[in-house]
Amino acid sequence: MIKTILNRCLQIIPSLFVVITITFILTRMIPGDPARAVLGPQASVEDIQRMRETMGLDEPMLIQYRDYMLNVLRGDFGKSYSYNKPVLELIAGRIPNTLLLALPAIGIALLIGLVIGVLSAVNQGSLFDYVFMMLALVGVSMPIFWMGLMLVLLFSVNLGWLPAIGMGSAAKGIGNVIRHMILPCFCLSTIPTATFARITRSSILESIHGDAIRALRARGIREAIVVWKYALKSALPPIVTVLGLQLASCFAGAILTETIFSWPGMGTLIVGAIDNRDYALIQGAVLVIALAFVVINMIVDVVYMMINPKVSYEGGK
Amino acid sequence: MKRKIMVILSIAALLAGSLSACGNSGGSQDTAGTSVEGTKAAESAQTETKATGEPVEGGFLTISLPASPKNLDPVKYTGTYESQIIGTVCDTLVEYDSGLTQIYPAVAQGWEVSDDGLAYTFKIREDVYFHPGEYQDGRQLTAEDVKYSLERSNQLSAMNRLDMLDHCEVTGEFEVVCYLAEPNAVFLTALTDAGNVIIPKEEVEGWGEDFGTHLIGSGPFALEKFELDQQTTLIRNDQYWASRPYLDGVVFKLVSDANQAANALRTGEVNIATSLSGEAVEVIRKDGVVELLEMPGLHVAYIYFNMVKGPTADIKVREALIKAVNVEELTAGVYQYGEAQPASLPLPPGSWGYDASLEATIPAYDPEGAKALLAEAGYPDGFELDLHISNTTARVKMATLFQAYLEQNLGVKVNINTSEWGTFSEIGASGEADIFAMSWTWYPDPFFFLNKIFHSNAIGSLGNGQGFNKPAVDAALDAALLTTDQDERAQLYKTALAEIVTEHPGIFYSNENVEWGVTPDVQGLIQRADGKVKICTSDINIWLAK
Repeated sequence: MIKTILNRCLQIIPSLFVVITITFILTRMIPGDPARAVLGPQASVEDIQRMRETMGLDEPMLIQYRDYMLNVLRGDFGKSYSYNKPVLELIAGRIPNTLLLALPAIGIALLIGLVIGVLSAVNQGSLFDYVFMMLALVGVSMPIFWMGLMLVLLFSVNLGWLPAIGMGSAAKGIGNVIRHMILPCFCLSTIPTATFARITRSSILESIHGDAIRALRARGIREAIVVWKYALKSALPPIVTVLGLQLASCFAGAILTETIFSWPGMGTLIVGAIDNRDYALIQGAVLVIALAFVVINMIVDVVYMMINPKVSYEGGK
Repeated sequence: MKRKIMVILSIAALLAGSLSACGNSGGSQDTAGTSVEGTKAAESAQTETKATGEPVEGGFLTISLPASPKNLDPVKYTGTYESQIIGTVCDTLVEYDSGLTQIYPAVAQGWEVSDDGLAYTFKIREDVYFHPGEYQDGRQLTAEDVKYSLERSNQLSAMNRLDMLDHCEVTGEFEVVCYLAEPNAVFLTALTDAGNVIIPKEEVEGWGEDFGTHLIGSGPFALEKFELDQQTTLIRNDQYWASRPYLDGVVFKLVSDANQAANALRTGEVNIATSLSGEAVEVIRKDGVVELLEMPGLHVAYIYFNMVKGPTADIKVREALIKAVNVEELTAGVYQYGEAQPASLPLPPGSWGYDASLEATIPAYDPEGAKALLAEAGYPDGFELDLHISNTTARVKMATLFQAYLEQNLGVKVNINTSEWGTFSEIGASGEADIFAMSWTWYPDPFFFLNKIFHSNAIGSLGNGQGFNKPAVDAALDAALLTTDQDERAQLYKTALAEIVTEHPGIFYSNENVEWGVTPDVQGLIQRADGKVKICTSDINIWLAK
């Protein structure tokens, strides 16, 4: 297992290198001048030219690339021209906010999704099954923007129970932050819940009809234990994969939820960076997301090996 | 099978039921129709909060901004949202009054202009103090600070907000002379810009790059906390020279969605929402508790024809296009809630350079005349045009209606190209767009509209991306800069305007209102056509009723 982990760590470096290079090229291929984007519509031709010089945009592409890569190797991801701050500092400031929203959302989604998925699978074909799978379909198709606004209208404007915008402040107590988290977390958890429910259901259905489970039942083990301990365990691999993907995509933020609730996360940072053609910030953010994906995928593979010792990436014995 | 169908039907019924219950809260969906009534409402609408009772001290005023202020350094800021905060934390030498007609003293208590227009002598107030900061402890503002701040702006401003300044000379502890390279009538207007506020050198040099998040000024409120992309908190400056603010402080919150801004007003999380648009305006208009303040803004929305390339290079084609569009109907269709007035000229009516007599010279809606003109120009069967717009709701609506007018009245096929702002501004500035649509808003001085959109030296920037170039216009605009006599300048701008409209460069279809939502506890707020919220000045001091 250690060998696998080490192998994976080494593979990360060339993957990230490719990601940086592709992002570098793609961002510079899209139309739109960063200087003009930063300065706005009232900028004159001279203003824009001066800004381009400050940003080093008039240098040949290869020189820009070389300078950027050398800096990255030194841990310097450049400066954001729209914020006038180092890229790493900006990203580091946003990730905690994004995780604060995304982790509870995924946690709730996993819990509820798992339970619904198992119950649906066990009661396949029943009213429960149809109702909840229909709800899963609705959940996945529901436009988040609309739902967020509806939730705010109901819980904030009409009932006055929860705040409509913002992150709250820890200075006013942890309760204040939690109250601000409730609506956005709920919004954010709808799609993952539906996804987990469906994948759990299919996965359990597959395992529950297998020989191993039939053998367990034949031995007289209680149905509840058969389902929740054995069937669930063998149904885990796809669920863990989906969980890994959901966790990794957290790092890309949730642009819609963040926009509605004025939650300063990675989503608004990245979309804003793209709008402003803030090359350094776009590249830095994409790198962080790629790193998250690669690392989490590695962890998922390790977890597989732990769940099922028969799985090995090291070749046959 | 039957059971399955029953289940599906009952779920569908459930969903339909729950969705209709949500219907009334999104009530604005019902107000379709293109009544022109809404636009008249603006004339009698409220633009000030009625003050009830005696002012009381205390409370934090929360203002929502639709975009996030990123950097408060006066030489680096690029958007209106930063200028809102900079203008509250810092002072300028001079200021506009609420009506935006007069420039009056602020940090400068008086000034004299030399006869040749090259030297402005300012006498500085002797009771202005900076907020205490990391690198100075609240010392007095002197002429040296004015010299430092203005020269810094001249040299470093990303948007060249004081390019006409040559250098400053300190002639006394509280007297400074600003020398211009050439006479420039908009120097005083430029001095009202947030880029030209007076700041202390020690703080700028001490903080370096971080000065943008640790702004220090001499204004009514000091910067307490700048939480990037979240909110900015200001607290009262007890030593403010104009009046002691009633408010304990001000919080600027980021709320990018207009509907959420309306919601936040209704829950009380925000006291003033600037830049309401679309349905949010109607929601607040109908709300019994929150007030809607609206007034005509210094704004023009327009469609600009390419003056050099393509079918619109022919003046007859341009005139035909103008005749083919019913501007009143277009405005009512795009702005369904009365948020804008139909327009015709490239200047907002609130600008002192506006000439109402020119309105009659703009071709009126005349589909037959348009068709005839187009045939004369050699396009009896129409042609194809590419319209470029940015992807906002109002712009897309306008483009769809414009496309319909041209198809119906002229047989001209308009291809709508929507892009996000970065791409749009690139195309617009390049001179490659057949037509593009955008809006312009700035100071009431016509220089800031006409020079940026029609002067040949602005070709290559987004303002004059369409290549408008008429020597008579350049001459009038240049001459209007050389004298400071406003009447003379108004005459010259009227000449320029007349020369511009004879070329039929575009369709200047609407003037948007400034739309603010205000909770009833806010007292003493006066709305301004430039959309700025002034919280505490020599004649304004907002307070919150308990």
